Amino acid sequence: MKHFFSLFFLFPICLSAQLHVGNPDFRLRNVDNQMISLESYPNAKGFILVFTCNHCPFAKLYSKRLNALSEKYEALGVPLLAINPMDTLVYEEESFELMQEKAKKDKFKFPYFQDDLQAAGKYFNAKNTPEAFVIWKENGNWILKYRGAIDDNSDNKERNITYINEAVDALLLNRQVVTPETPSFGCKIYYRK
Amino acid sequence: MKKIALLICFSALVNSLNLTAQSFNTLWIPDTLSGTTFNLNIKDTSAVFKPGYTTLTSGINGEFWGPTLFVNKGDTVHMNVRNQSNDSTTIHWHGMHLPAVMDGGPHQIIPPGTLWQPFWEVTNQAGSYWYHPHLHEMSQEQITKGLGGFLIVRDAEEAALALPRKYGVDDIPIVITDRDFNTQMQFSIVPYGDSIMANMTLRAQYPVPAQMVRLRLLNGAIETSYNLGFSDNRSFYVIGTDGGLLNAPVLISGTTPRFLLSAGERVEILVDCSGQSGSSFFLKAYNQSLGGFIPGGESFPNGPFASFLGHTNYNIVKFNVGAQTSNPITTAPTALVNNVYPLEASSQFTRTITFSDSTGVTSVPVLGPNAFILGHKLFDYDYINHTIPLNQTEIWELKSTSIFGHPFHIHDVEFYILTINGATPPAEQRGWKDVILVKGGNTVRFIAKFDDYADLTHPFMYHCHIALHEDEGMMGQFVVEDAALSVAPSIQNQTDFTIYPNPVQDRLFIQQENTSNEVYYVTVRNMLGRALMMLPKPDIKQGIDVSSFKSGMYIIEIMDVKTKSLKSYKFIKS
Repeated sequence: MKHFFSLFFLFPICLSAQLHVGNPDFRLRNVDNQMISLESYPNAKGFILVFTCNHCPFAKLYSKRLNALSEKYEALGVPLLAINPMDTLVYEEESFELMQEKAKKDKFKFPYFQDDLQAAGKYFNAKNTPEAFVIWKENGNWILKYRGAIDDNSDNKERNITYINEAVDALLLNRQVVTPETPSFGCKIYYRK
Repeated sequence: MKKIALLICFSALVNSLNLTAQSFNTLWIPDTLSGTTFNLNIKDTSAVFKPGYTTLTSGINGEFWGPTLFVNKGDTVHMNVRNQSNDSTTIHWHGMHLPAVMDGGPHQIIPPGTLWQPFWEVTNQAGSYWYHPHLHEMSQEQITKGLGGFLIVRDAEEAALALPRKYGVDDIPIVITDRDFNTQMQFSIVPYGDSIMANMTLRAQYPVPAQMVRLRLLNGAIETSYNLGFSDNRSFYVIGTDGGLLNAPVLISGTTPRFLLSAGERVEILVDCSGQSGSSFFLKAYNQSLGGFIPGGESFPNGPFASFLGHTNYNIVKFNVGAQTSNPITTAPTALVNNVYPLEASSQFTRTITFSDSTGVTSVPVLGPNAFILGHKLFDYDYINHTIPLNQTEIWELKSTSIFGHPFHIHDVEFYILTINGATPPAEQRGWKDVILVKGGNTVRFIAKFDDYADLTHPFMYHCHIALHEDEGMMGQFVVEDAALSVAPSIQNQTDFTIYPNPVQDRLFIQQENTSNEVYYVTVRNMLGRALMMLPKPDIKQGIDVSSFKSGMYIIEIMDVKTKSLKSYKFIKS
């Protein structure tokens, strides 16, 4: 019956075309109070940008996994940058001071930026915390290579599908990313109008 | 839209996951809270349904679903609802007769970080009610994530009856729902799930004693109706409907005893397990016998309404009969309570609500351009569809030209069904109701009295209880008007307030200068404007407890009853 609303037109939605993300020129404040932008990493081949936050139970689950990703890929020229795009007016728990506490408590090995104007979140249209974006430098342009979940949420190491590792490993070998987009899951990011 | 499409695609790949496993899990029985003050903390949290995977859920005081609240008729109950989740929400006290400003409909939005404190005198009779989120366009998502709970009213009449009453032993609350998991073991926000859950337990089993067992069954699903029966086709007694006990138990018997329970609806039944120690049987949904236009009777192989459970039969809970308890109830009472239903002749007004599949209604994401609507109008937040005089008894004629069945729910009142397509309803439906499935093309007439609570500012809702339909606009609203009190706002009625002490340490008091007026609503905000407290009609003699606030400056907004004008004052918490 009319319940049939064709979702097939929405397939495929994968990033079949390479998406230029321009030159995101954010200068965001890290928990160590330094203002940092992508240009602060002149030798970076790419970045793993993870939109995350303090209060979401899923974001809380991912601290260790983000540390592991950061340790592995920063050494290979792909730094992980965590960005908190949550509206601090709405969520008291997302204050800069509590971000500093979280970074310390969870021993973040990566910068944790406050996106207090939500500019970075809006630029990437980040939907949930956590949600990851892998961008890669090609001919001086930043190209979006992956967006979505960090992994398939399994803590079973034999079966875990680590989307970011797969994407970055492929890019480091100059190969195509096999799964360029997955649905992210976690807490919705609401943007202030 | 992309995400929805992917979720649906992924879920189709894995949805047999929970149907094929053979092991059973013990039915979880929600914790209980009782008394007159209830603390409910709404949180985003997580639960493990498949080992190794964490599923994002929402819970009230726990990881999924909420505690069962026991309240006594005649008590005034105070709810401290604290929203600690990521989203704004509301909590609606489904079936309760209470002021609209306390009702928790789509207008009483609780932002994240805010405490909402409704209170009311319990006037409903003993029965199985519930509470759930009701934020417009978010009901489906928030119910799917697990927000909700039972609200059980007790009263002297019920207490005097020889009925099973040992919670979790011979008096078992069961909320029946279905969920769909995607490959990441997250809930897909879809109307039909592929995994049946009883009290949020997959493949549930539970021990029951060898005696009369009372089941309080609540359909907490997004869309599915469950055609309930038992695997051995045993007969059972219906003792209560949405709004409490029937006058007498109604035996459901025959070759296929069934009770069709639709979204939002409750039924209390007695099942005789006497002499059956050592045996097992299943509570089942026999949805294969449902027509394709009954929610849960549809069978789509793909698309947003695809479900492995559509138009099929499946187990809900396995009951393992054990030993008899001490002082068992072994027979059903012959009589229950004396309900006095309004007579048809007492109706002062007949109101017709049409159900239709409207063409040309757009901007709805799932149902497409032909949304299901009530009264030929999509829900409009700022439009009052009906104004009902206080104390008026009305017949509501629910007239469906829709092809599909819709469970209709009305706030504020419990109603009594007069006719379904001109005929007297079956005996098991002749009780107080607040949800009735209106099948496609049917006309249902019920009678209700709109007494006690007049308020032109906050409306009550009526809607299809299929959360998807409701979210997409199959909803309307009414206000109850007390003509004697409805005076036009005038400058004479305005009042100023004095707040004291200021600075304050523990309790902030409000004094109104015009004593003929009253405080209608108080909101306390921090200096950034974030609401910290939403207090409908607070008892200003008790003061407002701000003892937990950090030191600093705050804003208190006070709205009066007569003019609904808002006055703001600053105060300092020392």
